[in-house]
Amino acid sequence: MYGNSKNWPFFFSLSVVSILFILLGAKLIYLQIIKGEYYRGLSSQNHIRVIVTPAPRGVISDRNGIILADSKPAFIVSAVPSEFNRANTALVEQQLEMTAGELNEILDEASAVPHRPVVLREGLSVEKVSSIAENLYRIPGVMIDVAPLRRYHRPEDFCHILGYVGLADTQDSFRGEIIGRTGLELKLNETLRGIPGLQREVVDALGRIVEEFRGTSSEDPVPGGNVSLTVDAELQSIAITELEQTGMPGAAVIIDYENGDILCAASVPVFDPNMFARGITQDEWNAILDNQDNPLFERAWAATYPPASTFKVVTACWLLSKGLISRDYMPNPCYGSLTLGDTEFGCWTSHGRLNVVQALEQSCDVFFYRTVQLGSIDELAEYSACFGMGSRLTDVLTGEKTGLIPDSDYLNRTYGNDGWGLGNLLNISIGQGELLATPLQLAVIAGIIASRGEMPPPGILLQRKVLNPVLSSDVVTDSAFDIVTEAMLRVVTSRRGTLYNAFSDSSLDFWGKTGTAECPGEDHALVIGFVRDPMPLAICVVIEHGGHGGSIAGPVAENILSRYLVERGEI
Amino acid sequence: MNEGRFKLIGRDRPDLLLITSVVILLAIGLSTVYSASMVVSESGLFRRQVLWVGIGIAFFLVGTWISFRRLEEISPVTYLLVCLLLLITLFLGGGPADRWIIIGPLHIQPSEIAKAGLILVTSWWLSSLRVRPRKFGELLVFLTILPAVILTLLQPDLGTSVAMIMIVLAIFVWAGYGPGWIYLIVSPVLAAVSSIHIIFWIIFMCILGLILYRRKYPFSSWLIFMGGNSIVAALTPMAWNLLETYQRSRLITFLDPSSDPHGAGWNIIQSEVAVGSGGIFGQGFLQGAQKELAYLPARHTDFVFSVWAEETGFLGGIILLATFFVLIWRITLAARKSVNSFNSLVTAGIAAYFTIHVFVNIGMTLGIMPVTGLPLPLISYGGSQMIVVLFLLGLAVNAGMYWREV
Repeated sequence: MYGNSKNWPFFFSLSVVSILFILLGAKLIYLQIIKGEYYRGLSSQNHIRVIVTPAPRGVISDRNGIILADSKPAFIVSAVPSEFNRANTALVEQQLEMTAGELNEILDEASAVPHRPVVLREGLSVEKVSSIAENLYRIPGVMIDVAPLRRYHRPEDFCHILGYVGLADTQDSFRGEIIGRTGLELKLNETLRGIPGLQREVVDALGRIVEEFRGTSSEDPVPGGNVSLTVDAELQSIAITELEQTGMPGAAVIIDYENGDILCAASVPVFDPNMFARGITQDEWNAILDNQDNPLFERAWAATYPPASTFKVVTACWLLSKGLISRDYMPNPCYGSLTLGDTEFGCWTSHGRLNVVQALEQSCDVFFYRTVQLGSIDELAEYSACFGMGSRLTDVLTGEKTGLIPDSDYLNRTYGNDGWGLGNLLNISIGQGELLATPLQLAVIAGIIASRGEMPPPGILLQRKVLNPVLSSDVVTDSAFDIVTEAMLRVVTSRRGTLYNAFSDSSLDFWGKTGTAECPGEDHALVIGFVRDPMPLAICVVIEHGGHGGSIAGPVAENILSRYLVERGEI
Repeated sequence: MNEGRFKLIGRDRPDLLLITSVVILLAIGLSTVYSASMVVSESGLFRRQVLWVGIGIAFFLVGTWISFRRLEEISPVTYLLVCLLLLITLFLGGGPADRWIIIGPLHIQPSEIAKAGLILVTSWWLSSLRVRPRKFGELLVFLTILPAVILTLLQPDLGTSVAMIMIVLAIFVWAGYGPGWIYLIVSPVLAAVSSIHIIFWIIFMCILGLILYRRKYPFSSWLIFMGGNSIVAALTPMAWNLLETYQRSRLITFLDPSSDPHGAGWNIIQSEVAVGSGGIFGQGFLQGAQKELAYLPARHTDFVFSVWAEETGFLGGIILLATFFVLIWRITLAARKSVNSFNSLVTAGIAAYFTIHVFVNIGMTLGIMPVTGLPLPLISYGGSQMIVVLFLLGLAVNAGMYWREV
């Protein structure tokens, strides 16, 4: 040893090595000699099976505790390809009501990993599974597991909000594990799923439990977290019925503008999510695909529409707040159209000389064509972004669209630097052109006016952070709020107002604005508005290809609100 | 060191017992990889392993032939290159767990090479400190090895980085730093671990006090070690409580993968069943039932010992353990007789490398150590490791032959 007279590092090291090797040898003796028979038994005849106990998926309820989605007990039948005897194919097919050959197909597909069980049938009731259970001893390799089935109590009303679940098919999922596929089921999957329990058992070649595996403890499942929505199931149900009665696809959004709670986000046509939970059949799937109105499509936040004249509320706020016009400013009269270069920009009738209140009340386009030229397209774009347009309002609604606010950058990209002009500004001022918004965004605009800018961002989860208002202060002046609110009331109360007929028999005090969005085919009908008493509600109704906003969407909005308030005993 | 300036001529015969045990282990390794590869879907595993052994033997010869003095000169540069490789792996790593550098058909695992680099650089530092002592010299050694350890930890490969530290500490022991000194060095880690129970904590502090007393440390050292470790132990539970539940469970799974019953825990159970079912005489070559049922994970790499123990039983298992013991013993003897401190420390580092890998890997398959990715040297499938290990063994044989050189 170099320079070190003592030999202690040598003997110390060698004794450490010896101790470590003795440890290994001792464990080897324990495993192979003392417990050898036990393990040999395990590996030749028996093997260890991990039993997974699914965790109950979290319950979803509405704001009043009405249960919208929970789980009911159900069973799945699966088979281990390496242990299953193909001679039993016919028996199993008969018990499971499968068509001949179907079972072999499933087994052939799964034979790549022969010791991994493959699902044969899922979502079976106790009655159906009992006949198989009685025959289980005759068909080794087949097993029955509990796998709770997701159950939707108001399937059609909440199909788009909740979405649906399906069997998980990833590498690390267990048999019968369900995961959210769409909607909140997908977005909140981590919260809702819980943690499955685990047990290890020693089973023999026939799948009978010999004993619990020694030395490892089992783990109990941890139930998934429950979720409460801000939605009022009654209001949602009323909105769906009213929309369905029009016979056209459409959406209705109602928000409590004091706290941002989304009370209703209805979209029609609807579908039954229970079909997906229990396993959809080919016929049902084809029926959905064949429906041209696409029931799977969510229209309250995942669809965008030209806001049309409802956007004039924003344009008017901009003109007034920036001091471009005053309440009594009257531009040149409306003769039914305005010619710019060689393009004619039409209005739906000749309105004559109007101020801003009258222009909103009668929804005159020419007033806005003339006044909007006092500002620029980028100013208007920037201003409308303050109302939540052009960006997502929530972070939990799957597929929520941002909509589109065209500014000069966007138009330059689309049409080239000289490919557009003042005409684009005129179109946008009345909510046409490239402008797009979701019904949710339009309801928020109504809510901002109703709350005089105090409305927090909308949300659909009852437990959520309170955020700052959508609109920062000083974007809209007090007088602009006064004037636009007055105009929205006159839309309903004035004989010339576009909502006068829809609300003439109503006991509601309603502030509103209609919109008729030009599009290929019949126009989309829109209405936005709010009631203050007895509840602070902001609403947006869109009926696709419904025609005129005042005559189609207006009555729907009125019916939804008054039926709801009457049912609650508020009016 | 009286003969320090003389170079004694002549060499001993190569240690035939050492070489024999290497040959036996290579034979066991090749046959087990062959057996395990029968059920692996990836073809050509065995042929490639034979190729690695062939290349490895060439490196072995290089190891026996190379001059230790030259090796000492290039040790720092070698270490820098190793760190560079690890850095590249961190950004461009590929393969499973991103631990490989892939150049065309070549898959290099730099963390395996890094272990050899650490042995060289630590030995270089310690032998140069012996000639020219510096203040806080030991601290400099630790600062030098830190980059390689941290880069490996970031891969993330906790097992390999802990193994690296263990090897370095073993070289320190060989250089004459006593267990008490090692205890002081690792005391913050021990303090953090012992904070889980008051009894552990009291035992830890008693041993600490005893060591400080026996080494006659001044009052300031008492203050630093006792106070510092008390703070560490007090902060550990607080830091733990600050973590979110999911962060904690992630940390636990990271430190102890067997706590994750879906993943590594399952592997351990299957491995124990495979080893246990081997009994005294084993199931016979190519007959491992657990292996054939494809229950056993990573059969040809990390869990290769399970296949061997299942097929050859206790008899085979003990033969393998005994051969490893003989190998380590012979390497340690070579380290002991080397006159030059660098040669001696490198060779001791190689012995430590084998001890740690064998104990951790086989311990894992027997369920007494946590699951880490440490392979079984000379047995597990893998090119980088095979070549590095055979090169190191060549160095050990070299050191035993030219032990008189200074």
